[in-house]
Amino acid sequence: MDELLTQFLIESRELVDQAVDDLLALEKAPSDRNRFDDAFQAFHTLKGGAGIVEFAAMQTALHCAESALAAARIEARPVSAPDIGNCLRCLDQVAEWLDMVESAGAIPADADAAEIVALFARDAPPLPGAATRAGDDEWVATLLSSNAGVASRARTALRYVPASDCFFRGEDPLGRIAALPGLLAVDLAPRTSWPTLDELDPFSCNLTIRALLAASPAEVGAVLGGESRYCEVKALSGGPHERDDESLARKADELLEAQLRLLESATDAHQHGRIASAGLVAANVLRHRGRSSEADAVATAAAVAIAESRLEPLIEAIRAAAHGTPPTGAIESEASAARAHDARQTIRVSAERIDALVRLTGELIVSNNAIGHAVKLAEHVASPLAVTLKNQHAVLNRLVAELQRAVVGMRVLPLSVAFRRFPRLVREISAELKKPATLVLDGADTEADKAIVETLVEPLVHLLRNALDHGVEDAAVRAAAGKPAVATINLRAFREGEHVIVEVADDGAGIDVEKIKQVAEDRNLAAADDLAVMSDEQALELVFLPGFSTAQAVTELSGRGVGMDAVRTAVGRLGGQVDVRSAMGKGTTVRVTLPFSVLVTQVMTVEAGGQLFGIPLDAIVETLRIEKDRIFPVGAAHAIVLRDRTIPLVRLADVLTRGGKSDDSGPIVIAQLDGGLGAVQVDRIGERMDVILKPLEGLLSGVPGLTGSTLLGDGSVLLVLDLGELVR
Amino acid sequence: MSVHLKSQGVIELLGRCDPDDAEALQQHLLANPGATIEWSGCEHLHAAVVQVLLVGAPLVRGAPTNEFLTTHVAPILRRTAK
Repeated sequence: MDELLTQFLIESRELVDQAVDDLLALEKAPSDRNRFDDAFQAFHTLKGGAGIVEFAAMQTALHCAESALAAARIEARPVSAPDIGNCLRCLDQVAEWLDMVESAGAIPADADAAEIVALFARDAPPLPGAATRAGDDEWVATLLSSNAGVASRARTALRYVPASDCFFRGEDPLGRIAALPGLLAVDLAPRTSWPTLDELDPFSCNLTIRALLAASPAEVGAVLGGESRYCEVKALSGGPHERDDESLARKADELLEAQLRLLESATDAHQHGRIASAGLVAANVLRHRGRSSEADAVATAAAVAIAESRLEPLIEAIRAAAHGTPPTGAIESEASAARAHDARQTIRVSAERIDALVRLTGELIVSNNAIGHAVKLAEHVASPLAVTLKNQHAVLNRLVAELQRAVVGMRVLPLSVAFRRFPRLVREISAELKKPATLVLDGADTEADKAIVETLVEPLVHLLRNALDHGVEDAAVRAAAGKPAVATINLRAFREGEHVIVEVADDGAGIDVEKIKQVAEDRNLAAADDLAVMSDEQALELVFLPGFSTAQAVTELSGRGVGMDAVRTAVGRLGGQVDVRSAMGKGTTVRVTLPFSVLVTQVMTVEAGGQLFGIPLDAIVETLRIEKDRIFPVGAAHAIVLRDRTIPLVRLADVLTRGGKSDDSGPIVIAQLDGGLGAVQVDRIGERMDVILKPLEGLLSGVPGLTGSTLLGDGSVLLVLDLGELVR
Repeated sequence: MSVHLKSQGVIELLGRCDPDDAEALQQHLLANPGATIEWSGCEHLHAAVVQVLLVGAPLVRGAPTNEFLTTHVAPILRRTAK
């Protein structure tokens, strides 16, 4: 795919995500002006991008959405709920198209915007409503909607119908327009319809010029001069007070810019007087505008600048304040200043390049381990170089460890990347099921490895569906139980040591343990005797069995044949675990525990049948030795009894090595597997180490019971086991 | 004179195009129906010239250095081009 298309995809995806966020926020707070502007801008930029890559259908669809938003702006009303729905649908369609572009590497030729166009046409507000405010200024409304992208910045609309003999007076109407301050958009039309080219009198002006400007009507009028009598100038949006406020805000910004220019033109950072005065002016301006926290930041930066004789801290602080949004609230301006700052500090790097770096780092770690091995050999033969080698290796070791941390950090993404789509999802499911619910996100800034964040989406989608479909009760039941009509789903994420925990909690009915046991029995998933003695905790585990579903009716949402077992499998593949807790009448919490990074896996080495294997440390509960006669055969297999629990046992040498002698008195590793414990008997237990797991390739890829391989310091290959598959 | 026939089917607009150029352009367009306008070297277009371009609706190619022309006039000409 060419560079332009690649860039288009990246940017469009970001914009779609952002627009969805903004629309959802608008739905909750329809009069939030900033959100509206952001959403508008996102749609407009998306449309622009589509134009650049000549994706006509996408352009058309987005144009419809943009027009719907523009109409709301012109009529000074909040965006209607159907329009928000349609805009979201439009973004869905766009996302679908983007996927098509990505897979085909080209703009899909059969993409059709007709459906989206029809959607907006259906819900378009009746025209008279649109005309009430615009009244006889219909040209203003038309001008704003056809230049929707700049409409938000426009303060003045101008209609200029030059006299037909103006050319003879030396007047250049377009030259005058070009000279206007803050010109945003220009539209040209004939005053009376155009004649044919041969009938056109080139010396008679037949133009009607319409323009949108960011300058105030007064400023525009000043430049129009004598031509003003041929012009109609309209002030846009807000009363005189708001305009006063705006002009003050602009003056404040001008003052800030002036301080910036002053500082940037300074050649000597030791001009403390200049720094101090610029800092003082900027801080005072900000304080006057009620942006006291930014004022404090500027004052602090000025002090730092003087102390360090460096201009940069102050320049940066003033710039952040000057380019932040006008004072709708100090907190917001801070946030946007921070965003602007982030944008400057960030570069885009493709995930492939980072993955290449990760692979290289992996090789480096392996190679470093090998050097460690060589150093030990040198020590054994008492080589005179041994000490030097050992010292150098210590340095290398530290550097490699630092590199590893840095690389792991690069692959880290905030979970918000995965969480972003969930408010939307919950909104849709809750509408479909007619169970009103709000999603409360907590800890979305928690970070985890990219692979984890990306793979987590699907299991979480399933958990959220479950929570709404099976957890949350119908309105009547909730009312009877005295619960609020709107259910709350909490999606919470946090870091716990080397693990990332994500919890989905609902305030629904909780899981009925008796019902679960009944279903398990009906479906022959467990024996009645076993069920009778099961603790509630054990019974809850039943929901993870393949083929389990307590839904009375298979619904469109949850009954797709993927149950909690699929969630557990997906999470397990990432080296994580899923647990469920529930309280009758109060709700259910599903907790997903995942490793922070998938780059490094901790393993314990074990020996069996003369070969070395690795077992992921996460899975190991304990290691122990027991008497030979406490291992008893069960059919063709073996089992042990540990603290009154029967645990299946596998002799590693029997299953994995060719003709290896199994040592029936060797140590036993007890491991936590899906749904229970398992025991593996080995010949010897080795050491603990950090390894980079590589997926198995070639002949080994089909071998059950192996998750991957890694290279050891001496160059030999260590196979890492998947105990779950071995013991099953 | 800032308007001239550059080659067969290409009319070039150069430098500042004043009201007088409007008539010349009109004649060129009438004599070369379907001609393309090359305006990369154009610095200013008088409204009278723009008016001829709007009526003649030729294809316009190149990007003038003048910001007003590229930002505001070019899109309108592209829209009207036949």
